[in-house]
Amino acid sequence: MNNVLNIALYSLRRSFWIILGWGIPLMLLGIITIPFYDLVAENEKQLRPVLDTLKPFLKSFIGGDEAEQVFTPEGFIALRYFAFLPVVMGIFGSVYGSGLLAGDEEKGILDFLMAQPISRAQMFWGRLLAFFICLAVIIGFGWFGLWLGVLKAESMMFSPIKLLLPYISVFAVTWLFSSLSLAFSMVMPSRSAAAMLSGIIVLAGYIITTLSKAIKGLEAWALFSPITYFQGNAMVGLELNLLIKLLIASLLFIAFARKGFGNRDIRVAGDGGWKIPLLDPR
Amino acid sequence: MSDQNLTAIYAKDLIKSYGSFRALKGIDLQVHSGEIFGFLGPNGAGKTTAIRCMLDMIRRDNGIIEIFGKDPQTESVAVRDLCGYLPGELRLDENASVKSILNYLRRLRQGGKDCSAKISQLASRLDLNLDSKIKNLSKGNKQKLGIIAAFMHKPKLLLLDEPTSGLDPLVQQIVLELVKEAKQSGATIFFSSHVLAEVQSIADRVAIIKNGEIVEVGVTSSLLSKRAWRAKIKFVSDDSGRGAMIKDLEGVTVLEVSDDNKIFDIGIEGDVDPFIKFIANFEVDYLEINKPNLEEIFLSYYGD
Repeated sequence: MNNVLNIALYSLRRSFWIILGWGIPLMLLGIITIPFYDLVAENEKQLRPVLDTLKPFLKSFIGGDEAEQVFTPEGFIALRYFAFLPVVMGIFGSVYGSGLLAGDEEKGILDFLMAQPISRAQMFWGRLLAFFICLAVIIGFGWFGLWLGVLKAESMMFSPIKLLLPYISVFAVTWLFSSLSLAFSMVMPSRSAAAMLSGIIVLAGYIITTLSKAIKGLEAWALFSPITYFQGNAMVGLELNLLIKLLIASLLFIAFARKGFGNRDIRVAGDGGWKIPLLDPR
Repeated sequence: MSDQNLTAIYAKDLIKSYGSFRALKGIDLQVHSGEIFGFLGPNGAGKTTAIRCMLDMIRRDNGIIEIFGKDPQTESVAVRDLCGYLPGELRLDENASVKSILNYLRRLRQGGKDCSAKISQLASRLDLNLDSKIKNLSKGNKQKLGIIAAFMHKPKLLLLDEPTSGLDPLVQQIVLELVKEAKQSGATIFFSSHVLAEVQSIADRVAIIKNGEIVEVGVTSSLLSKRAWRAKIKFVSDDSGRGAMIKDLEGVTVLEVSDDNKIFDIGIEGDVDPFIKFIANFEVDYLEINKPNLEEIFLSYYGD
């Protein structure tokens, strides 16, 4: 346990700039975006007819049938602030998750660290614990920025606890994509390939979930998209069953990744170049 | 099964493949506790693969490997606790400082004040500034950090992959001294190197690995004594009959003769005294006699 903490603390220190690099922009997003609600509320009469004239396909990209909720404070936060956050954080999770072990492995750093008296399990859980804390701090920055934005907006009044609810869902979705990317990085030939595949799933999931609001045939496919289980409108009530589904999927990916890391060879620097077999002359 | 007090490394029929490429083709190896063991082979021969199997960084396909009687695969933490490892290509977190990395490694080893004192002592001996950032270090200075990390906890077994690579001759000497001191304090040292003179100077025994197989293993001095001395001699005058007389000398082989019968390249097995006495009968322009060395043994396996 001691070494799990040692590994986690050292990994966290290395993540300092990542935390600031993602946390501060996320905080600024809240501070800048939320006060715009005052303008939207003031201009509701002019904006509502414009919204009514939009075709369903186009409307699906701004919330579909829920688009009109943009005129309520909760709806504005869900549609204008949280709508894109799972994609942004999903990409972050894909990049970070794939590099959690495979990044240092491909750089050759892991080779040196694994010569110390630590088990693969300790390295795995230590790094994962560091990522958990790192993600929590970044989410914390975002939540704080959202709260500052709400304080700045004249026509909004929410408690910090209520603002935290959608962020719990952001955390769960990001955690799921990170776990997925981590699992991919344990079986794919390179970290970048794992990040790329996970990133494709983030974007494809977002498109499918969004379009499924306008195209009925996509509803069944949307069940496989993690974004479908995201609750940007959690301020009106957080559904635990959706969170649990994301958590179960994450645990399965983590278990798969743990098994993969425990059983396979640790690569040395330069291993794992991404090649498309048909285009590789060898 | 090895005797864990007497045998530091024991490998039997060790096989490891990467896909269809077989990197180790059934290695048998026994390194005695307290000895300095040189592991020779060119790039790609399987040296690093063998060392990485010893630390459970890669998993063997077949065979046995034990470190002081422990299987690295089932007792990896215990095995790594006994070992100090210097990889052939040391890669480090470029944004960290030397001190922070060494402290991290010390904490992972649960090292106390002794370990900290050893770090400071080694850093001073190797002239390494602990406050430097890794990204500002030269290859040699990074290597010094790796050496400190390998030696700082006084391990029972040192696995050193090219320990003097990138170091200047003065620091190379210090590293070889550290190796000898480690041996004196009871440690076992298993090291690979391309600098054969260096291996010859400190290794008690050596093994040569070729294409994943051990082709020679033995006590360094015995291996050398089995090999011929090499002599190059230039006589002042030409004498066509002299070549035949040299060939008749016991243990002497004429490897090459110049067209004018003045210059001879000769191999001498065993005692060199009869050869010296023979050439004393002639006027000699120059004479060069070389002791057999590991390089010749090595090249006899790898040369054309």
